[in-house]
Amino acid sequence: MTVGVEIIKEETLLRRFISDFAQSKIAVAGLCTIVVIILIAIFAPLLSSQNPYDLGQLDIMDGRLPPGEVGGAGFTFWLGSDDQGRDMLSGIFYGLRTSLGVGAMSAFIALFIGSSFGLLAAYFGGRVDSIIMRIVDIQLSFPAVLVALVLLAILGKGVDKIIIALVAVQWAYYARTVRGTALVERSKEYMEAARCLALNHKRIVFRHLLPNCMPPLIVVVTVQVAHAISLEATLSFLGIGLPVTEPSLGLLIANGFEYMLSGKYWISFFPGIALLVTIVSINLVGDQLRDVMNPRLQK
Amino acid sequence: MFKQKLLIGLALAVSLVFAGTAYAQTLKIGLKSEPSSMDPHYHNLTPNNMMALYVFDRLILQDSKQNLKPGLAVSWKNVDDLTWEFKLRSGVKWHDGSDFTADDVAFTIGRAPNVPNSPSSLGRYIKQVTGVEVVDALTIRMKTAKPFPLMPTYMSTFGIISKKTGSGATTADYNSGKAMNGTGPFKSVEWVPGDRIVYKRNENYWGNKPEWSDIIVKPLSNNSSRVAALLAGDVDMIDFVPTADIETLKKNDKVSISQTVSNRVIYLHIDTARDKSPFVTDINGKPMDKNPLKDLRVRKAISKAINRKGIVEKVMEGVAIPAGQLLPDGFFAISPNLKVEPYDPEGAKALLKEAGWGDGFGLTIQGPNNRYVNDAKIVQAIAQMLTRIGIKTKVDTMPKNVFFPRGSKLEFSLMLVGWGAGSGEPSSPLGSLLHTYDKSKGFGSSNRGRFSNAELDAALEEALATVDRKKHGDLLIKATEIGINNLGIIPLHFQVNTWATRKGLKYDARTDEQTLAVGVKTAN
Repeated sequence: MTVGVEIIKEETLLRRFISDFAQSKIAVAGLCTIVVIILIAIFAPLLSSQNPYDLGQLDIMDGRLPPGEVGGAGFTFWLGSDDQGRDMLSGIFYGLRTSLGVGAMSAFIALFIGSSFGLLAAYFGGRVDSIIMRIVDIQLSFPAVLVALVLLAILGKGVDKIIIALVAVQWAYYARTVRGTALVERSKEYMEAARCLALNHKRIVFRHLLPNCMPPLIVVVTVQVAHAISLEATLSFLGIGLPVTEPSLGLLIANGFEYMLSGKYWISFFPGIALLVTIVSINLVGDQLRDVMNPRLQK
Repeated sequence: MFKQKLLIGLALAVSLVFAGTAYAQTLKIGLKSEPSSMDPHYHNLTPNNMMALYVFDRLILQDSKQNLKPGLAVSWKNVDDLTWEFKLRSGVKWHDGSDFTADDVAFTIGRAPNVPNSPSSLGRYIKQVTGVEVVDALTIRMKTAKPFPLMPTYMSTFGIISKKTGSGATTADYNSGKAMNGTGPFKSVEWVPGDRIVYKRNENYWGNKPEWSDIIVKPLSNNSSRVAALLAGDVDMIDFVPTADIETLKKNDKVSISQTVSNRVIYLHIDTARDKSPFVTDINGKPMDKNPLKDLRVRKAISKAINRKGIVEKVMEGVAIPAGQLLPDGFFAISPNLKVEPYDPEGAKALLKEAGWGDGFGLTIQGPNNRYVNDAKIVQAIAQMLTRIGIKTKVDTMPKNVFFPRGSKLEFSLMLVGWGAGSGEPSSPLGSLLHTYDKSKGFGSSNRGRFSNAELDAALEEALATVDRKKHGDLLIKATEIGINNLGIIPLHFQVNTWATRKGLKYDARTDEQTLAVGVKTAN
């Protein structure tokens, strides 16, 4: 076998993929924004002037300061502070960390569970298929927020709990996507060849079937990460999900919601902008990925 | 032709003017909480008791500052130490036209404590009555086993129902309106749970006739929507104006604000009884077999660590008063010696060190998030303050229907609670919060920290059996001072009740948080 040929082929594929993706300037901008946001999330403790999750560092007397004001501890609240004296900028950095972490974690766990079930359903067909897909149908017939609300009411609060709830509402999307693609792939010649070689099921499914189902999955993952982030924000906004002392973006927005009428806009406004920018960027990238990976849209 | 048009125009204008005045007589009220039933005796809950007052009078009424004033009884006195005599008002008619007599009062005393499936009975106000004697149609006597000075106060807590209508009537009959026959200022029209309660004026009311011919009460539990409904003119008046909006509403020239201090103290209840408390840990979060909260010095440190002024200014936006005892100034039996604990974090740290907890320990503070004004925010602010003196504090807030049952099962170590003294004097918080838990005597029912002090128990029990008002008050003050000095509870602040009405209306703001349509007047 000539290894060199493979490398060249892969390189050209990747290059082609990059050049296709770069055709949309907006998508590239979105990607850059995401990279910046991810860096902010990772380095939040270094960038923040205050640890907003450490109650000992908050001072109620610094509560609801407008943007630019200097608090009792001596540092400037560039984006103001919330009712507990939490620096909004630090709060947003940490909130992004939680939101992105929860979104990515739940999307990948759901991806793993969902695609496993989807592949099983498509590969074995028959009864296995109908049982799994009926469960998926039932799951998808309930609104995601409702299912997550019920689950969290039972499970209680905490980052782990909210990830479980998000996985539970999201795996079905992956299962359905993977099954659809896998059904098409299953009838192709290379699959037949693999079966004729009497390879075991595990190998066929994971070495041959799964890689060929990846393109649509990647698109769904991007969209679902954004979906998971907004769902997490929704749940926090409703006051369930994360503890009040460790606010994510949704809870920060909820904290400032009641001050909107009294003109203290900054408590809700800035976390809202942060959430908006994050979700829009992810969706821009997801859209472009879909265009690039869809053979029918290829020029 | 022109004349005809003019006439029509004139007629239209006149009818519009009349329509205008008719409109002005309808009062629409937006309330934070809705009653759980229309039955005046089903559930001892502020919204229920308040809505009952629209239709049902009481023997004795409380004015807006909770002073007693004659209701269906015009006078009352002790015939002897164990007998109270009430002279009833003559000429009072029930809504159905029949006469009000002492038999109705006797019937009510028999029914009120015994409503089936009652989640919280009014029986606690009636159980001391051991016998009822109807002397004549307008005189009734009540016997007690022990001298009972609080009888008039207790008789001001429940509505009197008609014997004729009430015989055999169930809670469902009150909810449907069938049994809603009272003597009060308003007649019940309908109750649509979750949507509205409608009343119309009782034209034969014995007292001052209200200005309003029709009342529509709407439950608007969401703070922002309640304010928005007032600003949009959907309602004429709202209760529990969110503190964040009071400043803005004061500046709005279409709205007036009415405020008064509340009889509700917001306080911390502490597990002072157990050696092992569920949410006390060591500084690393490991469970501990020792309970530092049993040590008075540690409780004192907690009290000193709390910046009450800061909470009032920043969390309550100035709409509260720092508290040093069970009721604010102006109420009966207020101790002149108890002062608001000043904020002193250094002193708190020193006390912790002295008690052997200089390295701190871990704690979780629990509180409701939908019961008191800004409750969840106060809990967080307190956690901040305790963390700063070395008590690593976590926060756990939950809806009231989860919080209170768990608190009563003693599942918490430190919790934020509030107590409104419906009787307007300190025996109610003393008996429920600080007296040793004793189910058989009905004491300590809300003593969720199981504080126990024999001296306090003795003083309170003696006060409850002392008819002489001065002595009665002194004993209550003594009991209050023991309870507060030993920090059975840590008082934080008294709420200030705030109502907003559209310009042109005035509300006689009440200390007991009730919104009564009779107190709403057009301002001149």
